[in-house]
Amino acid sequence: MPRAENPKALASLQQQLKEKMQAWPLRVTLSSGTCGQASGSLDVLNALKTHINDAGLRDKVHLRVTGCHGFCQHEPLLILEPLNVLYCRVTPADAGEIVSESLVKRNVIERLLFHDPVSGKTVRQEADLPFFAKQDRDLMGQNRVIDPLDIGEYIASGGYSALAKVLTSMSPDEVLDEITSSRLRGRGGGGYPTGRKWEQCRAAPGTEHYVICNADEGDPGAYMDRGLLEGNPHAVLEGMIIGAYAIGSRQGYVYVRNEYPLAVHHTRRAVEQAKEYGLLGEAILGADFSFDVSVVRGGGAFVCGESTALMASLEGKVGEPRAKDVHTVEKGYLDQPTNLNNVETWANVPKIILNGPSWFAAKGTENSKGTKIFALTGQVKNTGLVEVEMGTTLREIIFDIGGGPRNGNTIKAVQTGGPSGGCLPVSQFDLPVDFDALTEAGSMMGSGGMVVMDESACMVDVAKYFLNFLQDESCGKCVPCRVGINRMLEILTDFTEGRGTTEQLDLLEDLAWTVSVGSLCALGKTAPNPVLSTLRYFRNEYESHINDKRCPAGVCRALVHYTIDTEACTQCGACAEACPHDAISNEDEYVINDELCRKCGICQEACPADAIRKA
Amino acid sequence: MPKMVTITVDGASIRTPEGTSVLLAALEAGICIPNLCYMPDVTPLGACRVCIVEVVQNGRSKMTASCTLEAEEGMVILAHSEAVLRARRNIVELLLAEAPNSRAIQDLAARVGVERVRYPMRNKDCVLCGRCVRACDEVWQSKSLGFVGRGRNRHVALPFNVRPEFCKRCNACIDLCPMTITPCPGPMTEGAVCGLCASQLTMTENAPDTCVWCELGRGFQCARWQLRGVLDPA
Amino acid sequence: MQLDKVNAILDGKGEEPFDVIEALQDIQETYRYLPEEALYRVSEALGVPLIEVFRLANFYKAFTLEPRGRHLVTVCLGTACHVRGAPRFLDEVLGQLKIQPGQTTEDGAFTIETVNCVGACALAPVVIIDGKYYDHMTPGKLRRLIQAIRKQDEEAPTNA
Repeated sequence: MPRAENPKALASLQQQLKEKMQAWPLRVTLSSGTCGQASGSLDVLNALKTHINDAGLRDKVHLRVTGCHGFCQHEPLLILEPLNVLYCRVTPADAGEIVSESLVKRNVIERLLFHDPVSGKTVRQEADLPFFAKQDRDLMGQNRVIDPLDIGEYIASGGYSALAKVLTSMSPDEVLDEITSSRLRGRGGGGYPTGRKWEQCRAAPGTEHYVICNADEGDPGAYMDRGLLEGNPHAVLEGMIIGAYAIGSRQGYVYVRNEYPLAVHHTRRAVEQAKEYGLLGEAILGADFSFDVSVVRGGGAFVCGESTALMASLEGKVGEPRAKDVHTVEKGYLDQPTNLNNVETWANVPKIILNGPSWFAAKGTENSKGTKIFALTGQVKNTGLVEVEMGTTLREIIFDIGGGPRNGNTIKAVQTGGPSGGCLPVSQFDLPVDFDALTEAGSMMGSGGMVVMDESACMVDVAKYFLNFLQDESCGKCVPCRVGINRMLEILTDFTEGRGTTEQLDLLEDLAWTVSVGSLCALGKTAPNPVLSTLRYFRNEYESHINDKRCPAGVCRALVHYTIDTEACTQCGACAEACPHDAISNEDEYVINDELCRKCGICQEACPADAIRKA
Repeated sequence: MPKMVTITVDGASIRTPEGTSVLLAALEAGICIPNLCYMPDVTPLGACRVCIVEVVQNGRSKMTASCTLEAEEGMVILAHSEAVLRARRNIVELLLAEAPNSRAIQDLAARVGVERVRYPMRNKDCVLCGRCVRACDEVWQSKSLGFVGRGRNRHVALPFNVRPEFCKRCNACIDLCPMTITPCPGPMTEGAVCGLCASQLTMTENAPDTCVWCELGRGFQCARWQLRGVLDPA
Repeated sequence: MQLDKVNAILDGKGEEPFDVIEALQDIQETYRYLPEEALYRVSEALGVPLIEVFRLANFYKAFTLEPRGRHLVTVCLGTACHVRGAPRFLDEVLGQLKIQPGQTTEDGAFTIETVNCVGACALAPVVIIDGKYYDHMTPGKLRRLIQAIRKQDEEAPTNA
């Protein structure tokens, strides 16, 4: 077991592993995070292994499986070196050709390259993808070169050097200073200055100090933390170990949400391997510093992303938040001083230590330094994980990186910050994305979720969607959240089902205010945001629903009617067969029963003659 | 001798032992902050939010429940500002729409000035105040009841809906429940705020800090009633 | 009910406060639900009040008190999936199997659950069947998948 007894041993181990890596004549990198696997990467992996073996190349090819690269729309991705080529949407059937043509003969297979629909050009290398052109991939870039299940790769690429530097030449106070001067702010959505949090925790009296990584990423549409934790768990661990040293903690926890089994597996394996190598556990790198980490898996509750609820869950209880009049840095897990940070926050720490705080603070805007990872999803061409310098505008992210609208529709809005955030219209797209600019406009950057919506989205329906989500996830303890959100949803349902009145708009605003000031925790306090932001920018849609009983986007089912155009109908019966609600019958001609019809639109999809109309 | 701190509530200076909740400090000093889930001698829950107040610090104010807020030296509390009164009224309005036929909630509504209910009325028989749960857990040490379920499904239940053997049959859960206070005998129009409390409503309009000695307080050990020594033993 | 498996799960647990939740997770995975007797045993073994164990079982979405079907179909209703039409094939699935989310078909074959985002948003809309992720789903694809699973079940009856 190559245990690193001290920083010198680590350095020579790094050198050894690096040389070993470079000695491979050929390298094949396959992206295989959750998205990759969902796109069939494991089958591709098996096919590749078979063909590589058959070609007798097993000892010459380093076949490496990594986490998510961020270019999620085109998974599985395959990178070949030293040929230096990127293949997209690889299937198992391609494996044979890839081995024989690209590995053996060094030929590029044109059809597997990325063909940019915007410029029409073909792209050969990953670095030349227009998707990556405006990105600054400090964190995500690492995913490309690391097999998360092999600590050796992390070490070979310089991993744990920051920890070595800290343990050899920095005192806990010096570490605190560095993090504070970098002006790193929490990446989980709150944006609290990280250095200050660490200092407050360290200064708080208690018998034990705890360090927690909040990986309960629950915002629907956000998966940045999954990408980081699955693809590079050691970066997060290294950050935590450095933080523990600065704060004076001996025990840490990574709380991963229940819905991320791969992230749990990868993080647990990383912890095991770090211990084997002497980078975690007793006497880390031979120094007088011991720290251990346990990885726990959540039970399935969005509210457990809230820090006090997370700690309650960690204590074996239900995830009910408590009032934060006394902060968790003073009394947190088991009533002890606890420092909780988001996955991305921890991942930023090693680089800040290695490159220095001014390197980090040189990027970004006045009050938001560094880079931020966003999950760009929805109706854009290039969905995936995007990492940009703080201050990049929404327009650049959505159009330049995202490639603009999918399906040729017009983009209408972008939803940022998850259920605590809001929707911003195109007129606001020149806003820089950072902790402050979006909040002033009525939304927030949040943890990084960015869902793009086009004209097929109804903004009243979007507000209703978020209220429904929050109602589902509310712990139920306090009246404004449990009852207030339900009553807001009741009003919005009236709007979307044609029963809305203008008085209800006033009531909605009064109620929204009440929920925002009266709720016990941030889930309730920020619950009205989607409603308030859509009311602010898309009031006309609300008025259409209320005054005209019309849904302009054609989404709200009660206000939409499907009919069969009898002239165009070919009587094939495909619609009746496809209808999951038995709402289509055939007497003389095919007819949709409006009472039974649930407006799902499946019949329209099934009709070969385009005879079904939506009014 | 516990360390004493001085806080200001609605302009009045109050000295109280460090760690006392702002709500209790205010009640003991004669300032009634309306409340529902507060119960003396058990852990405050902070669930009903009726007792919310504004805490002013460094020129900024935030709203928080006074029952879970521990008094600290120099704290400035506004228990009856415009914003607080509006929030409190709206919160009780929500409660009233959940349980309009409860005498305790009706009284509370009259006390905080709810005059109309803008939501369709429901008819719940539990407002999740947690008095039964905390009495069972902390006073009688039995732990036979608990809050079960999440969000709208939250309700008070026995484990597996069966009364366990270790239930002490003490009936505290029934005695302390605000919903078991006998409804007032007056005519109750379905869906309307009961008019019989009108006299109490007028009193609160004229002098907002005046205690109206509502049945709520008599029914479950309000500190005010205790201080006056007027409560009959249970 | 044989409690051997439960006892095996509880063995070595009790040091960390979180152990009770982990025990429940293991029991849920083993039995596909949380049997009442198992929960009584957990309360006894770990010294956690019975009502607390009951609360945990009812609070977290990963736990069910009713047995799940042989095949678990989870439809993601995250924002990205919603915007790309997830409610529609939730409809399709519910219509086809004639049950509501959280329920199991009469023959014990399928359970439908919804989840509020699994973090595979680029592949929206996403459905997970028996742990396998399916991307860019449409109502048609889902219907065919379910039919295929049904057929597989009929041809090779599962062991009890």
